[in-house]
Parts: sequence; structure tokens; C-alpha cells
Amino acid sequence: MLRRSFTAVLEKGATFVSDFETEPYEAGWASEARWFVNVLRADPGITVIAVPQVSPDGSAWCDEGTGRMAVEGTGLVSAALANFGAWLRLRVRMEPYTGRVTVLIHLALKE
Amino acid sequence: MGSARAGRRPAFSGDPRLSRFNPLPRILFFDDFDEGMNGWCELVGNHTGDLGQIRPIAKDFRPPQLSTCTFFDIGTHGSVDGTYSLKLATRPKENHSAVAIKRMTYAARGRVQFEAYVSFKAELARDTAYAYSWDGNVAPSERHFGEFTFSNDICVGETGPRWHGVIRYRNADPEGNLVQRWVYPTSLEPTTKMERLGLVSAHPRQDFFSFRPEDWAEIPSGRQPLCFNETASKVNWHYVRWLLDTATLRSIEFQCNDLVMDLRSIPSLTHEHEYRGIANLLNVYLAVRTHVNVRNFLYLDSALLSVDW
Repeated sequence: MLRRSFTAVLEKGATFVSDFETEPYEAGWASEARWFVNVLRADPGITVIAVPQVSPDGSAWCDEGTGRMAVEGTGLVSAALANFGAWLRLRVRMEPYTGRVTVLIHLALKE
Repeated sequence: MGSARAGRRPAFSGDPRLSRFNPLPRILFFDDFDEGMNGWCELVGNHTGDLGQIRPIAKDFRPPQLSTCTFFDIGTHGSVDGTYSLKLATRPKENHSAVAIKRMTYAARGRVQFEAYVSFKAELARDTAYAYSWDGNVAPSERHFGEFTFSNDICVGETGPRWHGVIRYRNADPEGNLVQRWVYPTSLEPTTKMERLGLVSAHPRQDFFSFRPEDWAEIPSGRQPLCFNETASKVNWHYVRWLLDTATLRSIEFQCNDLVMDLRSIPSLTHEHEYRGIANLLNVYLAVRTHVNVRNFLYLDSALLSVDW
């Protein structure tokens, strides 16, 4: 069989006015993952920082340690992960201050 | 028909995976989620490319997941005959729903039967109020699980009529009282077209499957406590079977384990508007909805759709 893959849309043009984490997503079947963070709109001067996180159980989380992404203004960035266990999410922060951002976030998984 | 022992001799007794089902003569699909998503995907409201056009109730139904049923206390639970199941997960937000869909069309009108092995859990929320009265048996977490729903979307021929058949298991009410009943909607499942025509007045919408959250009635003899099993990390699988008829656009019966409900007297609501672009539509969808700020999960080990064509 061909290698299975699946792309999940974790945020679909949602607007945030504070820091947030994406919903937990189970990816134990996948050996590789790639995050895509697309900032569609942002208040002037804001940089969106997205940090991949991992978890043993979908409840407790820590930074994975690689793949930090930054978008100054609007645009699309990406980061790849491997050996991440069974759960993934992104920790998303705004710098240097909190404003209003609209994002599209994809997670592409492959066996 | 009418008995939990229907199909007494399994049609596929030589195949352990199929012998747990009672399919009609032709299997349209058999999805074991150890093999992948099998075409189940997130339902999204209609739009023309601008995500801002999507009506809010249908914009955030969440991507389905292939779950290992992994918990903090036991690790991986797994599914019936493997590791993975299909998981729908709500946000931890009052009235939020997750909905997944599988899209087909029909080659002939007639009987259609959906079968699945399902389980449902609420994410463990350490609830000190209930913990003081915990008797060691009934899980406080069970009261955090709202409801799960099975629905179809069927369009006859080129322009309709269009029918959404809907069956829901209401586990608990928003106050945490156990309801444990099968219910059906008494109003139509509003469509994007109906909302754009201004026909859906209840705002904000809280329930995708009915005009108003209170538009539901109990199926006669539809009380059925299911097996939540005492702790948020114990996953027991339930057999469900829903028989419907696309010739008459009516549900015939619904079975969950040893309860078989005759649905032929349940009102069947069809849309009065004309719909185009969905000729011979045959969609099945699954949903889970939380009443409280706790994630609710619906799991499917496997699903099978069969027909009498």
C-alpha cells in the first residue's frame, strides 16, 4: 500500500486576540509531520511565534525543542518534525505585544 | 427485524472482522480505522473560497483523528482488533460540536444500513465537587459527556427532495444530570441555503442538527444507559445499526446493543426547497457535542455501510 498521509486543519481562518495553543492532535501513526502556519491578517507590528509541542497523553505538554516558526506581519511558514511520539500541538504567542491575528494552520502527517 | 439477535447467523462467519456486523446483501464500504481515515473528513459549511462566508455553526467541526486511545494513567488502550480508531473531539467549549462525514452517491433507491462499533468519553476534568461524593463506582466524568449523533444527507435525483435523518444519544444534560436516551429532532437540520434565505432565526445557533437546541423528542422506549465504565480511561465498544430507506426517505429502525427501536412512526422531515448539484447524494455523518467546557470524544473502531441494491 502507498504510504498513508493526512492533512488536518487545526485553525481555519480563526481570529485570536491573545496567545493560544492549538487543540491536541493525535499523530501516533505518523512518522513525519509538517506544520504550516499562515498568518492571513495581523495588527501592525505583530510577529506571530509558533512553537511545536509534544505530549505523552494529550494533557501535559512541553516544547518539542525544534521547529520554532515566526511570521512578521502576514505570510506562510513551515517546520518539520520527526520522533514526536503520539500527540502534537502548537503553542502560539504574539510579540512584542498582543493584538489581533487571523490564522490558517495545517498539520501534514505521513506514515 | 426488531430483534437484537437479527441476522442470528453472521453473514461472514469466516471473517472475524466482518462477522461482528449484520450487513444487507451489498457492502458499499467497510472501514477499519486501523487502515486509515478511509475517506472520513471534517464537515464544513458551504462557501465560495472565502472562509468568512461559512456560517459560524459549521466552521469549526474539527479534523477527525486516528486515535490510539492513550491516557495519562494507563497509556494506550487501543481499539477492538488493533490500535487505532476514528476519533471526533470537541473543543473544551460549551455547545461545541465535532462532525465528520463520508460522502457517497447512490446507484439505486432502497434500503441502506449503517453499522459501527462506537465508544464515547469525556476528557478527564478533575472535578472536586463530585470527588467528595464519589462512591467508587459512577465516574464523575460521565456527567461531562453531552451527546453523540448519527445523521445522513440524502438527495433524490437531480433536485430532491432532500432528507436529513438524525438519531442522537443524549447522555447528560448541561447540568450534569444523566439522561441516557435516544432522541430525534423535531425541526429540520438547517442548510446554508436556508440560513442565507433568512429562515433560521435562532441566533446564535447552538445545535447544527436542529433549529433550536430544544427541538428534540424522545424515541419511544429509547432509554438506554450505555457502558461508560467507571473511569475516563476505560473504553468499551458498543454495536450500533441504523436501517433506513431512501425510497421512502424514512428511518426504519435503530439498534444499539440489545435495544432495537422501531423508527417507522418517527416523523421524517424533508426539505421543501429545491437543491441542485447534489444529485443522488448519500452522505453519512457522525457528531459529538459537549454541553460544558470539557472536551467530548466519539470513537469508531470500524464502520460498515450496506445496501439492498
